[in-house]
Amino acid sequence: MTEMLSAYPPEESWDHVESLDPAAWPTKVRRSHRLVPTTCFNCEANCGLLAWVDKDTGKITKFEGNPVHPASRGRNCAKGPATINQVEDPERILHPMKRVGDRGEGLWERISWEQALDEIGDRIGTAFREDRHHEVMYHVGRMGDDSYMERVLHSWGIDGHNSHTNICSSGARVGYASWMGFDRPSADFANAEVIFLISSHLEAGHYFNPHAQRIIEGQQNGATVVCVDPRLSNTAAKADHWLSPWPGTEAFLLLAIARLLLEDDTWDAAFFERWVNWETFLREARPDLEPTFANVRQALIDHYAGYTPAEAARVCGIDQDQVREVAAVIGQGLGKFASHTWRASSAGNEGGWMVARCLQFLNVLTGSVGTEGGTNANGWNKFIPVTPIHPEPQARWNEMQWPIEYPLTHHELSILLPHFLKAGRGRIDTYFTRVYNPLWTNPDGFTWMEVLRDPELIGCHVALTPTWNESAWFADYVLPMGIASERHDVASFETHNGRWIGFRQPVARRHRELDGETFERTHEANPGEVWEEQEFWIDLSWRIDPDGSLGIRQQFESRDEPGTPLTLDEYYTMLFEGSVPGLPEAAAVEGLTPLEYMRRKGSFALPGDQQQVYEREVSEADLVGAERDADGVWRRPGTAGSHGSLDEITGHMPFIGDGSPAIDIDGQARFGFPTPSKKLEFFSETIRDWGWPEYSMPAFIKSQVHWEDLDMTAGERILVPTFRIPTLIHTRSANSQWLNEISHRHPLWLHPSDAEELGIDENGLVRITTRTGHFVIQSWRTEGIRPGVVAASHHMGRWRLEEDEARSWGAGKASIERDDDGRWRLRREQGQGPYESDEPDTGLIWWTDTGVHQNLTFPVQPDPISGMHCWLQRVTVGPAEPGDAYGDVVVDTEASHRIFEEWLAKTRPGPGPGNLRRPLWMARPVKPQASAYMYPGSD
Amino acid sequence: MTRLGFVLDSGSCIGCHACTVACKSEHDVPLGVNRTWLKYVETGTHPETDRLFSVMRCNHCDDAPCMTICPTSALHRADNGVVDFQDDDCIGCKACMNACPYDAIYLNPETKTAHKCNFCNHRIEDGLEPSCVVVCPTQAIRVGDLDDPDSEISRLHADGGLVRSPEQNTFPKVVYKGATASSLDPLASAISDDGLIWADTTPGHSTPTPVALSAAPTRDDGEAMARTAYTTQHPPVWGSMVSGYLVTKAIAAGVMLLAALLVLMGHGDEQSVVGIVPPLVAGFFLAATGVLLVGDLKQPKRFWFLITKGNSTSWLVKGAWVLGAFAACLAAWWVAGLADAGGALPWLAVPTVALALGTAGYTAFLFGQCEGRDLWQEPLLLPVLLAQSVMAGGAAWSLLDQFLDVPSHGSVKWAFLAGLVANAALVGMEVRGGHTRHVTMAIAEMRRGAQRKRWREFLFCTAFSLVFLGLDVLFGEVLGDWSGPVQPIVPLAALYGLFAYEDAYVRAGQSVPLS
Repeated sequence: MTEMLSAYPPEESWDHVESLDPAAWPTKVRRSHRLVPTTCFNCEANCGLLAWVDKDTGKITKFEGNPVHPASRGRNCAKGPATINQVEDPERILHPMKRVGDRGEGLWERISWEQALDEIGDRIGTAFREDRHHEVMYHVGRMGDDSYMERVLHSWGIDGHNSHTNICSSGARVGYASWMGFDRPSADFANAEVIFLISSHLEAGHYFNPHAQRIIEGQQNGATVVCVDPRLSNTAAKADHWLSPWPGTEAFLLLAIARLLLEDDTWDAAFFERWVNWETFLREARPDLEPTFANVRQALIDHYAGYTPAEAARVCGIDQDQVREVAAVIGQGLGKFASHTWRASSAGNEGGWMVARCLQFLNVLTGSVGTEGGTNANGWNKFIPVTPIHPEPQARWNEMQWPIEYPLTHHELSILLPHFLKAGRGRIDTYFTRVYNPLWTNPDGFTWMEVLRDPELIGCHVALTPTWNESAWFADYVLPMGIASERHDVASFETHNGRWIGFRQPVARRHRELDGETFERTHEANPGEVWEEQEFWIDLSWRIDPDGSLGIRQQFESRDEPGTPLTLDEYYTMLFEGSVPGLPEAAAVEGLTPLEYMRRKGSFALPGDQQQVYEREVSEADLVGAERDADGVWRRPGTAGSHGSLDEITGHMPFIGDGSPAIDIDGQARFGFPTPSKKLEFFSETIRDWGWPEYSMPAFIKSQVHWEDLDMTAGERILVPTFRIPTLIHTRSANSQWLNEISHRHPLWLHPSDAEELGIDENGLVRITTRTGHFVIQSWRTEGIRPGVVAASHHMGRWRLEEDEARSWGAGKASIERDDDGRWRLRREQGQGPYESDEPDTGLIWWTDTGVHQNLTFPVQPDPISGMHCWLQRVTVGPAEPGDAYGDVVVDTEASHRIFEEWLAKTRPGPGPGNLRRPLWMARPVKPQASAYMYPGSD
Repeated sequence: MTRLGFVLDSGSCIGCHACTVACKSEHDVPLGVNRTWLKYVETGTHPETDRLFSVMRCNHCDDAPCMTICPTSALHRADNGVVDFQDDDCIGCKACMNACPYDAIYLNPETKTAHKCNFCNHRIEDGLEPSCVVVCPTQAIRVGDLDDPDSEISRLHADGGLVRSPEQNTFPKVVYKGATASSLDPLASAISDDGLIWADTTPGHSTPTPVALSAAPTRDDGEAMARTAYTTQHPPVWGSMVSGYLVTKAIAAGVMLLAALLVLMGHGDEQSVVGIVPPLVAGFFLAATGVLLVGDLKQPKRFWFLITKGNSTSWLVKGAWVLGAFAACLAAWWVAGLADAGGALPWLAVPTVALALGTAGYTAFLFGQCEGRDLWQEPLLLPVLLAQSVMAGGAAWSLLDQFLDVPSHGSVKWAFLAGLVANAALVGMEVRGGHTRHVTMAIAEMRRGAQRKRWREFLFCTAFSLVFLGLDVLFGEVLGDWSGPVQPIVPLAALYGLFAYEDAYVRAGQSVPLS
């Protein structure tokens, strides 16, 4: 009988599913539901969801997975079904709010959307008319959609995009991009023989649920799983090999493995010869050798002579036999080495970007690039449909996000924004935060608080958020935006060997439209006055440019009915009909329009094989107008790859790459990689030419927390303050009772030997002192962490300043004051506890702990090359001192500004070759026109 | 036929808690309780450290103690082998929670009824997999049919697949793959002083206490104790009401046992002190017993389901019959007393004695059905309860003796003393060694752990009563009236000691973790 069971009702029945009421069972009470697909909005994986809408009440009963979603395949992590908590959250914001007291005072009035749009639109329109484009900034945490905002910002003509990326993945991106143009790996775990993770992909990581499915699938099929992590994550626990090197030494470990692969001759020489720019390596690094491939292996071994297993054991603090063992396993799995690093050490260390660069070196040495069971480039598995109405890119460059000190950073220097404001580099007139809580999430939050409170520095702060958060508390407008089931987005991610797009749609609107109702705007169907964000930008743009004189309104005007605002049905009809290969055909087979197909299924798997795309032959027709250069690269005049003055490059530059269409390999024009050489760049001339010749090849960079620099006897240790746990997602999951019930505490992991040496008692309070302050946390002595390292997850430590507002399942009541020394002091006044509300569960809260807000005490530590905030902290660990209380945080923001200047001084500022601000070929969000790359003062 | 079970594959489980949340969503499970949950245990030392994940839930036992004890058959066997429940029939007695050796049943704080995993039988009915199976990212939870010999679960079972607490002989239908005793044996791991990995630890969280561990430090398999890094709370469900009920019914039964003794000694014609007062006193305590029993129900208004929906395998139901019959005997005795029909009492004494013994002793069988509480399964429980009722009866008669002229009151004192001595001796035998690890832990908890205050009160009261009652009985003739002032204190002390013991015993019995 069990084979008769299925996971979901058949897709054709989704419009009307009769199911038994679980509460009435075993009495058989039937309820009828409509199943509406949408997309989870908790982590970045964007897994498919099916909302079960009760046809009698119109309310969503629950969320399950979407079985036709190619990545999540109907399965979810805990955060998927928890979406219903977020929909029913008794504390969610349902109406637009405007500040009436001082910023942060907590006094609000409810306003209409009309008022909010009019006031904000007028403000931005005035800024644009006064040529203050740089004073409008959109700062996003989790974007939800892949391209919509790029369209909006291009329409506005501003370089106003800011992101969370340099607290997240700028490091890994530079490491990958410097090899292959693409900034992310796409591992085919399911078919791998070796799965190598510098991350905790089984509980977090980029694409937790889709990746976890396939990592375990791969492991069950015989793959060996290697996990590198100073801490026993769940992933490390499931791994066949757990390596816990000293944080910051991972690159050394990887290079030692690389050297062993070369020494043992267990590498894919043929692939290396064909697709790596080894000629450049020999020419630049070994001019003494004949430039033939026969010399490459020995030259590489010589280059990495110092990376012996014995030295790796010493530097990394792990057993050298383990290094050899792992290298041997990798050497046996050539072509099927699936690896991943994303945040972890790449986001922890100065030079962390090199960890990704060294890991990609292993992908290359094993010939696993883009193979089945190997590691593809994300761009070949992720699909971003080109927006149907795509205005010209902006001719502006905003130094506030893209300062000249960081020409090679992969993303905006967002963590430096408050310091730039304080340093007088500029001001912001209108600042949008969107699913982003910089005050809490970023390092040095008190400096954020200072600038968020200062109307001279930030004229107007508009928080676009479904729920209260610490930053929204300091906003001028708090505008409620829809969560997973209340908005539109299109997203695609490189979750596996394939390509797909997922469609997030407002469930109640879809349900009611199927019942014959019509809606102008999604918020009419959403709870309260929760807005659909994409419609918000359309309506706001109309307010910014009511008469079209700025050229903005036209970008948001209906094509079908000129003179009226664009509707999302029209927008997505255009997008799905014109920008997604295979979708119109697949829809036609089912007799549907592409939009209706997406509304019914919620996702689409793009046809075709995406393996080894670089090998694809390029036809002569595609080479018309291009010229073959001496290195065999076909270059097209008027692109970043071949131009005189920048003015020759018009319109949109390619998102990645210099626009050169092909490279000759063995006399055949092939697709190649979007790098300047069209090959994989072991030797990066870009890095060399832009100021860092010593890092042109994969190398180990000693980090800010290098263990040999620590004074262990004085209590110094390395703090790992960033690790995810499987149930939470940064600050977005605080409004789910089920998730917070499972996890609400983040004690400091420390090894028992450290606890003894540092005098930390059982369950004792610990004071962690950073360079700008300290915090007080509880200890958790465990054998699951490397001695010398302490760690606490970053999810907890949420707080609220008022008893009755900004509450959630995970925020404690706190107070903030400035002490006599001018230091900020956050004190935890009370933890979590039961309270009465319309939701019965609030009366059943049984836990009290809400954690400690660690990030406040971290100064900004931007990597001088990648711009990635280096999260790992060199700290002094000791027992709590008299007067310390759990949750205490004390910070000196003057010290943090000094440290900002210190790290800024580590940079080698641009402009680079050609007086450019940044290499043209590198990816950049909301990429400007080529002319904007010219640094002022050039001729 | 179909006998559904789960394969829980710890080899694939990544500890993500999706099953927990999907279940909460499907069944709207309130905070604080769970139908399914995850346990994390950690073993080894760095860098040879490991963390193991196992999903915990109802085992849908083929021989389900919860069904046996459920007084109303609210817990019942569905056609597909699943142990399901009918919420409307639950009286909230919580016996199932003590009967289940797996911590699988909880009291829903909103409905005040017992809930547990029911295999999503409402989904199975519609051909859908349980929601935990559907959500699991790594397909670590799989449905199987034990009646299909080719199914994965049957093969695992045949290969000696791991199940939880096999010694309970409940024939669990949840089979683990890739799990170890560190995860599955509830006594093989403990929460450390530092608490859980990412949740608060409450007193209700499942773990052997340090005291329990000091008494039984060595795992059954000889391995080192593992660390429980994550689990959920399963607080004890029976407390003072149940301890009190044990005392009141011991008194009721004991009063009548001694009344019968007096009848047999030829005092049946003493209308007041033998014919009327004993059934009144016993009736009062029997009524108190009933009040405590009903008061401890979370659905007290449904108490009559015990009769109307009574499940004849449940000793709660059988006990109710015994108590009812005993009440009828008391009434008959009382009527006989009022009618001054002393001649009827010898005839009534026979069923009265039998039902008094039943009233005192049936709890041994009820507790015996609590398969999760091994302390209560010890064979001495029945003699202890009987000795306690004699002692309680003696104490009650000794108090009556203060107001009434009790005939043969020397014999009553002797009976009181005999009950006291027997109880002390039996309890002494019970707490001596030679038990399973579970029982050893429970006894340690009773004597030295959280129940030590009650245990000491019991010891003190017993010693006090023994000394003064002993002196009185043995040397009263010689010592004369010396003991007058302590005469009423001795029986009160004995009765308080009895309550203290019952309370310690009831709570300690529930102190040993089952998950």
